[in-house]
Amino acid sequence: MTYANTYHTLAQFGRELLEKKTLSQGLPLISLYAKNVMKAERCSIFIYDPKDKTFWTTLADNVERIVIPSDKGLVGETLHERKPIVTNDPYSHPNFLSEIDKETGFITKSVITAPIFSSKREILGVFQLLNKEDGFDQDDVKFMIFFSHYISGFLELTNDYLKKEI
Amino acid sequence: MRKFNEIADFGKELMALEEMDNVLDLISSKAKELVNADRCSIFIVDIEDQILWTKHSDGIGRIVISLESGIVGDTYLKKEPQIVNNPYEDSRFLPKIDKKSGYTTRNMITIPIFNSKRDVMGVIQLLNKSRGDFEPQDLETLTFFANYVSGSLELVLMQDS
Repeated sequence: MTYANTYHTLAQFGRELLEKKTLSQGLPLISLYAKNVMKAERCSIFIYDPKDKTFWTTLADNVERIVIPSDKGLVGETLHERKPIVTNDPYSHPNFLSEIDKETGFITKSVITAPIFSSKREILGVFQLLNKEDGFDQDDVKFMIFFSHYISGFLELTNDYLKKEI
Repeated sequence: MRKFNEIADFGKELMALEEMDNVLDLISSKAKELVNADRCSIFIVDIEDQILWTKHSDGIGRIVISLESGIVGDTYLKKEPQIVNNPYEDSRFLPKIDKKSGYTTRNMITIPIFNSKRDVMGVIQLLNKSRGDFEPQDLETLTFFANYVSGSLELVLMQDS
């Protein structure tokens, strides 16, 4: 019942999120909230581009986008398997990309991911958190699944439908 | 087509609600408005009792049906929306509900609502579009709408049980 209280207060977060008019305004809020409630060090939201078969995500400044191929790493595995992944020993996981740690100097100790589905049940993106002090457990997986679904409407609306109306 | 901007505003209103009854009422009035339908029922899946129930449907009060019955039950089983523009010729249709309410169903659209585990937790049913029949465009709007409200609905159902 680690998250019992979180579920209770989630609607408050939902209200704040819906005040954001665009995806780029919403992403930092989602990321900050997820890190706080899940007690993780980093959060990334990878948005899937089915045309180019790539993901994009924003760096810490939320301005610059980086693009990664969609068939690599734990994020790629999440897309392919359509299921969350949790590992508390990423360096011995066959799909973990340790090159990224080498480039950035960050040391990944634990990873949790969850797919984000659209209303058409296609994958809209992948939600990822890194480094929880005692590692991620099944309660975290449950919350990730719930939370990814909870934010999916906002992501789909701002990433896809509102763009068509502008 | 300003529908999606409208849904964005609606979302804020929905999030402000905490009681399940109010959440269901607001979802149902918005759904009707989006596709110009006359009536709306939101059926909630109860796996334990193998039923689909509504809190209160327009003009008839509470409806309880078994999980597989009617077009709503078929929506649950198939996990796919259904457009039925000739209900009285459809073998799945339950005319006894019309009989009970004194209402005549001319056409119907149903949309499954998925929870975070991707199971169907409910079905939105709309009856009698004001002009003409339900179309694929209505289906697209409502499919998006059902997913958009599903997070809030899952949250209130969780707190209600």
